Amino acid sequence: MTAFRASPFAPALVVTLRTIAIVGLAMVVLFPVYWMAVIALTPTGLGRQVMTFFPASPTFENFVTLFTERPMARWIWNSILVATLASAISLAFGTSCGYALSRLRFRGAGLLLIAVLTTQMMPATSIVVPLYMLFRAWGLLDTMHGMVVGHVSLVVPLATWMSKGFFDSIPTDLESAARIDGCTHGAAFVHIALPLAMPGLAAIFIYGFVTSWHDFLFSRTLVNSQELWTAANGISSFRGEYFTLQELQMAAALVFALPVVVVFFVMQRWIVSGALSGSIR
Amino acid sequence: MPFARALLLDRARPMTSAKTASRRSPVTRVLFDGPAFPFIMIVPALLVLGFVIGLPMLEALRLSFDTIALRRPAAAGTYGLHNYARLVSDPKAYAALGLSALYMTGTVLGSVALALSAALLTRRVVRFSGLARIAFLLPWTMPAVVTALVWGVMYDGNFGVINRLLDFVPFVDGRNWLVDRSSALGALIVAQVWNEFPVAYIFFLAGLKAIPEELYEAAKIDRANAFQQFRHITLPHLRFIIAVIVILLMIMGFKSFPIIFLLTGGGPAGATETMTVLTYNTAFRSLDFSYAATLGILAVLASAMLVLGYLRLLPRTGHGDVM
Repeated sequence: MTAFRASPFAPALVVTLRTIAIVGLAMVVLFPVYWMAVIALTPTGLGRQVMTFFPASPTFENFVTLFTERPMARWIWNSILVATLASAISLAFGTSCGYALSRLRFRGAGLLLIAVLTTQMMPATSIVVPLYMLFRAWGLLDTMHGMVVGHVSLVVPLATWMSKGFFDSIPTDLESAARIDGCTHGAAFVHIALPLAMPGLAAIFIYGFVTSWHDFLFSRTLVNSQELWTAANGISSFRGEYFTLQELQMAAALVFALPVVVVFFVMQRWIVSGALSGSIR
Repeated sequence: MPFARALLLDRARPMTSAKTASRRSPVTRVLFDGPAFPFIMIVPALLVLGFVIGLPMLEALRLSFDTIALRRPAAAGTYGLHNYARLVSDPKAYAALGLSALYMTGTVLGSVALALSAALLTRRVVRFSGLARIAFLLPWTMPAVVTALVWGVMYDGNFGVINRLLDFVPFVDGRNWLVDRSSALGALIVAQVWNEFPVAYIFFLAGLKAIPEELYEAAKIDRANAFQQFRHITLPHLRFIIAVIVILLMIMGFKSFPIIFLLTGGGPAGATETMTVLTYNTAFRSLDFSYAATLGILAVLASAMLVLGYLRLLPRTGHGDVM
């Protein structure tokens, strides 16, 4: 950099080189998404014959096939149902625990924190094997409510840890003031901390929803009947079933990914700050 | 925000007045103000956690001493340490731990290198900075299942776009990336890095933002070149952020399941059978639930160690105020 400084063109040259590097890297990173769209728009069965980098004769027939010949709409509806329930339940139960971990001193708090974090960070395959056996004994296999339970085990630790982070970031002054005025700690939580954390709680709900929406393992193992599959499981089945029909795979992947992309960019700020507090992977 | 706070205080005031407070029963006081309050707050979550995680963990422990396997139906109910004895001498388990370690190392190195380059490139961009950031965050919004599907199509051995792009590169031949033993794990690592590096990118951007600009100005006056600035200013300031992100990425790599499972299923011939995939395959392909539970417990212990490392680092980064 110092070498260039002598010439008046130096800053412009640095900026140009940097721009080229950014554009190049961005193109590499974005390529898989672009390619997904190219193949999805290619007529069914012709994906392997695309010899340029553009769809030769773009068509939406793959998307139509998904919804007419496969139960894609049903799977998406299942995903919405399971994700909403799992996220709402987790939020309802996780928030108070997150508040306690953030504000209150009690015995075992440190241990609880480690336990919550470990359950959030251990591989889901470890929990799904015993859960499968329990569900088999309880007759919960192949049911929607069973899958909600499974997803709650994914989302509750996350909701607890994330809400702790949000309460940590809210100043305690208001609650202290209310308590000096004679408010109980419980009332301070309900009437002051909760409303202040509302945007955070909304972010947790959405992030929990997305976690459940993305999950593949629980849907794959706990549910067998095709009409109970979630979308993640449904579209993954295309890799086996339509191995040669890449166009359908890519169309399904696009339909499945799009809602999350939209949500993500609407909520970018919250999700980014959540990621920094270590609660989002 | 001050307005919202005033509103909140207004709403809280009527019930915090001395009149209401005196009317409150001692029972309410004990439950919602006293030593019982923390427990009231954590019990609902504890019940749910106990039901969806504690109970399965206990069941896993029980299974690991039992013999629930399709191949030996008569042995059910014979409790003992045999699954653990098998674990200690199982070459597949050691191989899986090694492959997980390799996978973690590869994804951590790849993600850190990619994310750090992207963050250093975009940190001072003024025009179109939002656009550049969106480009580097987009892969993060892709579900693992979608990542697996799209890379599966791109890795296609015959007409995959990666092989076609490699035609333009001299001396590099295309191959059937996911079927070839020597390339399968590397191919999976690339897909995982693509999916997860944005998390590291966010951390690095935030970390870079927190470095005072005056340090660089002083360095420029001292005629330090770009590399020296990176080596003596940027890197030391990012040290803890890098440590935290390395552990987070290790955890993500260790947990990784859908990408590996959907792309190779652990193959070819076990070349990509990491801990998670081995656990799954033992349970749902070999139908040996007891041994799978034992492997699952090993995986939980391994992630608990990573979590402990993470918790030790966390307070030192001041992660809360980097943005």
